[in-house]
Amino acid sequence: MLALAISGLTIRVAGLDAPVLSIDLLDLPAGGRLAVTGASGSGKSTLVNAITGLDGVTDGSVSWGGTDIARLGPGRRDAFRAAHIGLVMQDFHLFPGLSAFENVVLPARLIRRLTPEARTRSFRLLEAVGIARPDQPVETLSRGEMQRVAVARALLGKPGVIVADEPTASLDTRSGEAVAGLLVDLARTEGATLIVVTHDPALMERLDRRVALAGGRIVEDSERARAA
Amino acid sequence: MIRFILSDLRRFKGGALAVVVLIALSVALCVTVTLQERAVRLGSARAAEKFDLVVGAAGSETQLALSAVFLQPSPLPLVSGTVLSKLVADPRVAFAAPVGFGDSADGYPVVGTTTTLVSALSPALAEGALFTRLGEAVVGADVRKPLGAEIKPMHGAAEEGGHTHTEIAYRVSGRMAPTGTAWDRAILVPIRAVWQLHGMEGDHDHDDDGDGHGAEAAEEDHGHEHEAHVEPDATLDEHFDAGTPGIPAVLVKPKTVADAYRLRQDYRGETTLAVFPAEVLTRLYATLGDARSLLLAIAIGTQVIVIAAILLVTVMHVGARRRQIGALRAFGAPRRSVLAIVWGELFALFLAGFALGILVGFCAARAISASLTATTAVRMPVEFAREDISLAVWFLLLAALVSIVPAFSALRLSPASALRA
Repeated sequence: MLALAISGLTIRVAGLDAPVLSIDLLDLPAGGRLAVTGASGSGKSTLVNAITGLDGVTDGSVSWGGTDIARLGPGRRDAFRAAHIGLVMQDFHLFPGLSAFENVVLPARLIRRLTPEARTRSFRLLEAVGIARPDQPVETLSRGEMQRVAVARALLGKPGVIVADEPTASLDTRSGEAVAGLLVDLARTEGATLIVVTHDPALMERLDRRVALAGGRIVEDSERARAA
Repeated sequence: MIRFILSDLRRFKGGALAVVVLIALSVALCVTVTLQERAVRLGSARAAEKFDLVVGAAGSETQLALSAVFLQPSPLPLVSGTVLSKLVADPRVAFAAPVGFGDSADGYPVVGTTTTLVSALSPALAEGALFTRLGEAVVGADVRKPLGAEIKPMHGAAEEGGHTHTEIAYRVSGRMAPTGTAWDRAILVPIRAVWQLHGMEGDHDHDDDGDGHGAEAAEEDHGHEHEAHVEPDATLDEHFDAGTPGIPAVLVKPKTVADAYRLRQDYRGETTLAVFPAEVLTRLYATLGDARSLLLAIAIGTQVIVIAAILLVTVMHVGARRRQIGALRAFGAPRRSVLAIVWGELFALFLAGFALGILVGFCAARAISASLTATTAVRMPVEFAREDISLAVWFLLLAALVSIVPAFSALRLSPASALRA
């Protein structure tokens, strides 16, 4: 379980005067469950890329449990993400040609040898997300099943954080609900901090705190509103 | 990782196959050119080894050497019989044997000569005995005629519209051991039989500088040839004197190297020509070598184009797979794994193409050599040599380097921008 502390985070892109993301302060305690909302272009994806280390940060700090990933090089950032952050994306990003099981264990295999513990854990996770046949080629699954495999993959390395970017946006309502439930329940049982970017009200409902972005700034924070 | 590479290659089966075939073909071209040139060079050098010095009438050195070594039918001018008798008597000469070409039987060249040459070519016969009568013949190892078979010689070759000599049918008395030279396809008969067959023995109208019994014999000559008379049962007479008819060439085995050079010096005159076939062949190889360098340059040029095409394909391929590579990194694959995957995939294609190319090239060279051997009987050994290893290592190094380029280009982007692609 990792706590997030963002301070003075500013991200600019070439050709734009205003920063695409500017967050002075955002704290999320370990085990917190945060929903991030906002219209497209509000800076949600930029935020996801910054807190997961998918993109570099030059201005400000993004600290996970005391490690400021803004100060890490690209290779170290990749390694930190591999060790501590489970990712779930809108487009799943599964690898066709491999089975559900092989997709779940692929990152582990590429980093080091697959341990017997990780193997059993992957079967348990697939069972938990409701995939009956782990050896089924992943391209033959339904979209809902694909996202559930992706959730299992995100959890395999016992990450301290799960970051999900629009996990239900490309699914029908029923599958979306199932995935949303799994995500929240598994994050709780696995003891992971959860950050979800979403428009899905049903998914927002399940999370403790909601932050709305507009023009790269936090315009609404349910916690601060409550405190006020 | 291997599984990932394999499943990826399976998905791009068609493209992967095309790349492998491209590489294989260009590698095969290089391999065939190299191996074939070597095979021809080694094979003909070995074939020429047995013939130290060839003496003929003044004319083309190359033709004289090629006719003697490869029994290539060609219009050779005749050298006077006195040359033969002088050579036989020369103290510097271990042996001198006349060779008379021009006739053939079932596609095999019929060569008139003496028992000395047969014994020199094959010190022990594979079967049977030397010819002892004019009507007998010793066949080369590759001639498909059993002992006792009848051979009807034909003037010239069947495809040149030659006619059959009806006056004589040789009987096979022996077979030589394999020599790996063109002489394995030859039918050796007593030279006097050839002379008599062509009406030249003790002939009144024989002409020394004429082309009386060459393959090129003019049609009008046939008239007098048909009057010829051969006695198959006559015994051999292998003594030659001034009255000896003309012959296309004399094979000479000098006693020493110094003798060889002196003999060559002595018989290079206005009417005679003396050559070392090995030397003539070396000159031919120089030309052949130039042709090989040219072919090899073309082959290597092809390879460069193929490699450039493959680079283009992979750079595009990597571009198309940017998302996949970004995803691999996003989900925690270390950079070295991504490098290894992209590089490994490409290098595997190179390796497969390389191996297939060597196999195809080797088989092609073997097939070409086999067909050459079938027509000339000269064994052309298709073999790899030491220097090929360094060539292969260079190719593999280059392939390894070339395939690392797209791998690095895949890592240039941050995973986030790769995923956006």
